[in-house]
Amino acid sequence: MKLGLGKRHTLPARDAHTLAGAYAMDAISEQDRVRFERHLAGCQECTQEIASLREATARLGAATAVPPPPGLKERVMAAAAVTRQQPPAAAEPDIPARAGAVARTGAWLRSLAWPGRLAVAAAAAAAVAVLAIAVVFGVSNGGIRQQLSQAQASSQQIATVLTAKDARMVTGPVVGGGTATIVMSHTQHALVFTAAGLHTLPDSHGYELWLIGPAGTRPVGMLPPGSHGMTGPVIASGLRQGDHLALTAEPAGGTTQPTEPMMLDVAL
Amino acid sequence: MTATSGQRPGDQTRPSPTAPGGASANADLAVQIGLVARGDAAAFAAVFEQAGPAVFGIVLRVIRDPAQSEEVTQEVLLEVWRNASKFDAGRGSAMAWVMTLAHHRAVDRVRSVQKESERERRTASADIPYDDVIEAVESSLERERVRRCLASLTDLQRESVTLAYYSGYTYDQVAGLLGVPTGTIKTRMRDALIRLRDCLGVAV
Repeated sequence: MKLGLGKRHTLPARDAHTLAGAYAMDAISEQDRVRFERHLAGCQECTQEIASLREATARLGAATAVPPPPGLKERVMAAAAVTRQQPPAAAEPDIPARAGAVARTGAWLRSLAWPGRLAVAAAAAAAVAVLAIAVVFGVSNGGIRQQLSQAQASSQQIATVLTAKDARMVTGPVVGGGTATIVMSHTQHALVFTAAGLHTLPDSHGYELWLIGPAGTRPVGMLPPGSHGMTGPVIASGLRQGDHLALTAEPAGGTTQPTEPMMLDVAL
Repeated sequence: MTATSGQRPGDQTRPSPTAPGGASANADLAVQIGLVARGDAAAFAAVFEQAGPAVFGIVLRVIRDPAQSEEVTQEVLLEVWRNASKFDAGRGSAMAWVMTLAHHRAVDRVRSVQKESERERRTASADIPYDDVIEAVESSLERERVRRCLASLTDLQRESVTLAYYSGYTYDQVAGLLGVPTGTIKTRMRDALIRLRDCLGVAV
């Protein structure tokens, strides 16, 4: 639906909706934004108009497309692998109602339009939190799990892998459900493992990671229990050329050799 | 996590930019974002391929500095990853959703930097010729369409849009630069976008 340009509004700020163009282009001050969004919450037509204007600005933006710098994709993928996703909004009623259904739309637009510095801070905090709970696995000596005292070293190690010049990401489906994402760096002799949607095992069992290659089969360690469908990230060092990463479901204490079928086998 | 700007010799996945405005491309992007919401890394890679050039393009256009633009592009894509579940295809196209995030973040970066170097900003290019903007367009078909639609605007409308959208100025800054009352600029911006929307055949 389009608004006539000179259409009158009986809304609190009568001239507010002339801000639609500036708002759709982020060309307004913080004060004006607040004022306009107050107006938006009660103006469904305006909400629709903003959506349509943003289709136009998206085209202006897309018209400037240039290939991203080399390596950016890998870095973005690696960062995503250790960034927790937001859950979907609850279906109903999730927004403090300002004007019923219209308020919901306005809220959606606000969430869309002005994530701002708060979101940056939240993203950074989330990334730190994810890293802070990361668990380090010892590799060479029987897969002894080192615990949270290592968290700091771990996040440093994870960052080292993710930002390594030769960092590469692979993903693979896990037999029985779920997807594993691995970022590896051969120059750092390490990899970061995360998985989503792994089947929950009974308490008597756990997922165990293995490195398998010319240097033999080495237990990497047990994965910590998943939380909200996400497992990891965990870091495994001791990566060598020709290794595969494997995943099995083993008795909870772990084993020194895989005793169960491979649920994941990724060449590294 | 830090973004480094090192070159990567092993990178063979430079995307060939696709025309971003197409309805089927948009539908595909929407599907991929739906999968991303479920944590699908492969779908996220596809989103990067499809939307990455447009995101980097507009961020670079607004910010100008390649290193900062790369950082912001990474933030934008990560935001897509984090908030994929918030995307609602019933309320606009996937490309509009992504580009709104991208433009907002780019502007946010520019304005926070601006506080530190107010003078520099004020003397910064007040007149980016839109031909320069259009030069960067990747698909000749889309380029022609956007060029034609921008050309159909009045001079004041076109300048208002390019200064606001491509340079990241607020409407009162644009008004100052062009020596026109703010009320006029607000109106011109809205008129201009409505004309562009209709000219580009945007469906909502």
